[in-house]
Amino acid sequence: MKRLFIFALLGIVLLGCKTEIKNSEAKIEIEKGTEIENSRTDEESQTQVSEESGNEDSKLDDPLLGFWVGYFEKDDEDYEKNIYVDEGYYWNRENKINISIDVVKDSLVFGHSVVAGNDRPFQGVIIQENETYLFRVREPGDDKYDGEFVFSIENGSLQGKWTAYHNIEIKNRKYNLEKKYFRYDPNISLEQSKEYVNWYEFVETNEEVEIDYDEFEEWISREFASATDLIYKINASNTVLTKNEVENLKKGDLTIIRNTIYARHGYSFKNRPLRVFFDAQSWYIPVHTNIKDDFTKLEINNIKLLLKYEKNASEYYDYFGRG
Amino acid sequence: MIRYSNFILKSVCLLSLIYFTYLMTLITLQYIPVKFDVAFLAVKQNEIEYKYYQIAFFSHVYTSIFVLIFGIFQFSKRIRTKFKKIHKILGGLYVFIILLVAAPSGFIMALHANGGIFSKLSFVIQAIVWFWFTLMAFRSIRKLDLKSHLKFMYRSYALTLSAISLRLFKWIIVSTIELPPMDTYKIVSWLGWLFNLSLVEIYLMYSKDWKKKKSTISNQLGT
Repeated sequence: MKRLFIFALLGIVLLGCKTEIKNSEAKIEIEKGTEIENSRTDEESQTQVSEESGNEDSKLDDPLLGFWVGYFEKDDEDYEKNIYVDEGYYWNRENKINISIDVVKDSLVFGHSVVAGNDRPFQGVIIQENETYLFRVREPGDDKYDGEFVFSIENGSLQGKWTAYHNIEIKNRKYNLEKKYFRYDPNISLEQSKEYVNWYEFVETNEEVEIDYDEFEEWISREFASATDLIYKINASNTVLTKNEVENLKKGDLTIIRNTIYARHGYSFKNRPLRVFFDAQSWYIPVHTNIKDDFTKLEINNIKLLLKYEKNASEYYDYFGRG
Repeated sequence: MIRYSNFILKSVCLLSLIYFTYLMTLITLQYIPVKFDVAFLAVKQNEIEYKYYQIAFFSHVYTSIFVLIFGIFQFSKRIRTKFKKIHKILGGLYVFIILLVAAPSGFIMALHANGGIFSKLSFVIQAIVWFWFTLMAFRSIRKLDLKSHLKFMYRSYALTLSAISLRLFKWIIVSTIELPPMDTYKIVSWLGWLFNLSLVEIYLMYSKDWKKKKSTISNQLGT
C-alpha cells in the first residue's frame, strides 16, 4: 500500500513536470511606441516634455480646444461582443477615448483622436447655436477603423456619436466626454479601481488573435495572470528600483509596474488587458501612441531592470529550470 | 509480491533520476557556448562581472552535471561487484570533481547567492558539508571501510541530488501556493538539501535497526 502510494506520487510528479526546463515561448510584449532607444541622450527628452506642456497650457482656458476624455461606448447593446473572462470580470469592448480639438479657424476645426493605440487626425466644420457648438468631423478614411464624429459641446461637456466608414465589428459608438488637462506627473499612483486580469496569458494559441482594436477571435480559459497589491505601492517613475525590490515580484506585478510608467506619459495601449486596466484609472488619459522620447533617465533604468526580471519570470517562474 | 513491487519501485526511481538528469543536462546546455546573459545569469548581472565569479560559475555548471551522471552508476550492485573497475574510475572522477571543482566553486557562488543571508548561509553550509561527506567517503574507502564509505556516499549523493530536488520543490511551490519567486528561492535553498539528507539519515537509521534486529533474530535462532 505504501509502495503503491509512492509510485502514484512519483508518477504524478513525472507527468506533471513540464518536459521543458523553461518556457521557450515566453515573450515580453513591448509595444513599438514604448521601446527604449539606446542612442538618445537625456537632455533631449527633458526639453521635449517641457515644450509640449507649454503648448497645452494655452488651451487650458479655451472652452473648445484641448483634450476631451471619456469612454467610447457601443451605441447598440450587443452583449455577444463583450469579452467574458471570468466570473465578475468582463470587458464590454469600451475604450477610453481622447478627442483632441487642436485648431478652430472660423467654421473649420482640426484635431485628432487617440483611442486603443490609434492616433487619427480629423477635420470638419463647427457651427455655433446659442451656447452650443455643433461639430461634424471626418477621419481621412485610409485606415480600416476611420469614421465620422458628430458631437456637440455644451456647458463643458462633449456628447456625440461616431460611425465607421467600413463594416467593422462595432460600427456605432457614442460618448460623453469631459475636458481634461494632461500633464506628466511621476508621482501618480494607481488607484484600486479595476483588477488587472491578463486574459491572454492562458488563451489557447491555436486560434488567431488579432491585436487591433476591433477584430477578435479568441478562446478564453479559466486561469489568468494577474497582479497583487504591490502595484499600488511601487512607483517606478519617481523612485530608483533596486534588484532587491524587483527580484521577489511576480510577472503580473512587474508588467503593471512597468506599464504604469507608460500610462503616466499618456501612452495609448494596444494590448487589451493593459488597456482595460489603465482605462479604469481616473487620472489616465490616452494622449500618445509614441512615448519613446519622453522617459526620464530614472524611468529608463527602471524599465530595463523590470524587463530583465519580467523575462526571467515568464521563462522560468513555473518551470523546472531556474533563472 | 514484495520482490515484484521492489523491482517496480527501483525502476521508477531510476527512471525519474534519469529523466531529471536529462533535464539538468538541458539546463547545462543553455550555457553552451559561454554567454553572460542567459538563464540564471540574467539575474546575476552584478556578480558575473567579477572574473572569479565567471570562473566559479562556469566550472560549477560544466562539471557538476558529470557528478550527477556518474553517481547514477555507483549504486548499482552489478556494476559494483562485476565491473569493479568502472565503479572505481567513475567514483574516482566523482570524488575528484567534487573536491577540486564543484564544491569549491559552489562555495564561491554561495557567497553571492540570491535571497540574502538566509539562502547564502544555506548554500555555504551545503558546499562545506558536500565537500566533507565526499572526502569522508573517499578516505573510508582508502581504509577499505566499506560500511562508512557507503554511508558517506549516500550523504554525498543526497547533496548532489539537491540540484534536482531544489528545482522540483521550486516547481511544486510555484504551481501550488504560487509564492513570489524570491520567497520560493529562500525556502528551497534549505529544503532542497535538508530534505534529501534527512531521507538518507532516516534510511541509515532504519536499516541499522533493521540489521540489528535481523542479527539478533538469527543469533537467537542459532542458539
